[in-house]
Amino acid sequence: MVAIVEAVNLRKTYMLGKVPVEALRGVNLKVESGDFLAVLGPSGSGKSTLLNLIGALDKPTEGKLLIEGVDVSTLNDNQLAGLRRRVGFVFQFFNLIPRFTARENVELSMSIADIGRAERRKQAEDLLETVGLKERMNHKPAELSGGEQQRVAIARALANTPRFLLMDEPTGNIDSKTANEIMGLIKRLNEEKGVTIIMVTHDQRLATQAKRAVQMFDGVITREIVN
Amino acid sequence: MKSRDVFSYSFSAIKLRKLRAGLTTLGVVIGIAAIVALLSITQGLQATITAQLQKGFATNTLIVSTGRSSGVSIIGAGDSGFKLFVNDTQTINEIENVSMSLAIIQRVGYVQFGGKNRTVTIVGVDFAKYASIYSSTFVAESGDIPQSPENDTVVVGKRISDPWKNATLFCNVNDDVEILWTNATARPPKNETYAGHVSAVLQEVGGFGIGPSDSSIYIPISKAESFFGTDECDMIIVKLENDDTATIDSTSKAIRNAFDKQVTVMSSTAVLNILSNVFSVIQLFLGGIAAISLLVAGIGIMNIMIVSLMERTREIGILKALGMKSRTVLTVFLGESAIIGLMGAAIGIGSGWVLANVVALVFHGGGVFFGNQAAGTGGISITPALTPTVLLGALVFGVGVSVIFALYPAWRASKLKPVEALRYE
Repeated sequence: MVAIVEAVNLRKTYMLGKVPVEALRGVNLKVESGDFLAVLGPSGSGKSTLLNLIGALDKPTEGKLLIEGVDVSTLNDNQLAGLRRRVGFVFQFFNLIPRFTARENVELSMSIADIGRAERRKQAEDLLETVGLKERMNHKPAELSGGEQQRVAIARALANTPRFLLMDEPTGNIDSKTANEIMGLIKRLNEEKGVTIIMVTHDQRLATQAKRAVQMFDGVITREIVN
Repeated sequence: MKSRDVFSYSFSAIKLRKLRAGLTTLGVVIGIAAIVALLSITQGLQATITAQLQKGFATNTLIVSTGRSSGVSIIGAGDSGFKLFVNDTQTINEIENVSMSLAIIQRVGYVQFGGKNRTVTIVGVDFAKYASIYSSTFVAESGDIPQSPENDTVVVGKRISDPWKNATLFCNVNDDVEILWTNATARPPKNETYAGHVSAVLQEVGGFGIGPSDSSIYIPISKAESFFGTDECDMIIVKLENDDTATIDSTSKAIRNAFDKQVTVMSSTAVLNILSNVFSVIQLFLGGIAAISLLVAGIGIMNIMIVSLMERTREIGILKALGMKSRTVLTVFLGESAIIGLMGAAIGIGSGWVLANVVALVFHGGGVFFGNQAAGTGGISITPALTPTVLLGALVFGVGVSVIFALYPAWRASKLKPVEALRYE
């Protein structure tokens, strides 16, 4: 199988004021098409930093990060933006635009990708149906529950048929019953639609639902678990 | 992102904060309205004055004066004591391209009738020649302007006959009026007076100008010479055979030379040029003042955009995470201010136009600013002129200022790093 994501000795150092913080200290990772990888680790272990790098939201300080064989550090601003359009991001705090309805939020990522009005409307409706929110698509985020908002976020991430989904604690901000439903949805997407998923979580139980998991600690991967 | 989508995204952000956007727009509205109102009034005023001037000062006429008594301040010709006389017209008549010339003697005096008196300008002219030069304005409304008048013939302007603009007349055709003038050069000053017979009341001329005026009375030039006790004239009006620039220039020069360069020769084109220059300066000045208010509005826009940028940092992070290019983020922010600028300019042009018309109405109706002086000239009527240049200029300026002042906040928004923007609380 082809490696969609490949990290070689990946390092990221932040400046926290004047103090350098080594968030990643040499991460080696390979994710192949159709994979469902959980990145486990306590807070501050560098798992979110890794996800941000893979999502092209940030650039590595050192090492190599290949997305579909292309070295991210060689890309300019516009090319990075182009890469982000091919990646679906799901955040812990949903990050929906409050003034837009569910459907408009899903449409937004397609309008950024230059898709015409009629087509994106149809696709948005289909995607919201996939995540089970067709009835609520004309509601704004404030009128939706946490679980519903996360479904909208997943539908938005699925727009533009991304190469892979990146999920940062997708169930971290919703109750456990809804979290199970969301996990079910994520698993279905992976198993039935073949969507490649990289999910960051600190929850051991969620990690067991993925095909495999890696444990991070202090900016390095300490072990790999195959479920 | 398609430009239509960028526009609708920008618009949705404006719609979210209606009051704030409204107040920001109001700044632009006020600035643009001030510019449009001031410029269209000035241009209307210029058009009125130019038309008025052309009515009384045809392009094929020249005005010769010593430069002291014409009422218009002219470059050159200092007070050298040089005098023009009524019979100097003979010298001028011999110059090439001159078809006729006419001397004018005028003094400020009074007309008395029925126990009342009014201040007037008493103008001594050759009626036939004057009527020929001012064929459209030296026209009788009632009575007749005799070609060869009697010594006591008087032609009065409309506002002398009907000073209050109603049916109550001060004097009318066939009335015998007393004409009075104070000779201040006599020792002691002496009141000169004679009885005149009103043979005609002129049509209303309106406004002001160099030719016939509503607040003047006209007496034969010979009578003026004896009444004012002088044959020194205030100006000589020269009618040319044509109004070619070359003719005007060469004849003006010839007349100046004939009087040893002691006289000033004015052509209407020269006066119009001066007028046009003066109005350009006025427009620049007034437009500049109004532009300052627009700059203040621009700073308001910048302020609001920076606040908006802070509030929407996270939103910008989301947009960037979804793959929006920095350039598109810049366009979204500039689009917001362009919409504000466009709305402000459109409303501003409309309200400026209304304002200009209201001011024009006040000018015309009440004559608050000009007119209705002692002599009783009417208010001047201004038709505000909204030229395509002003219209387009205001639109471009309104949108331009808004966009320019939004450049910095928009640039800052576009430079935000997605990770940091998403983490922003």
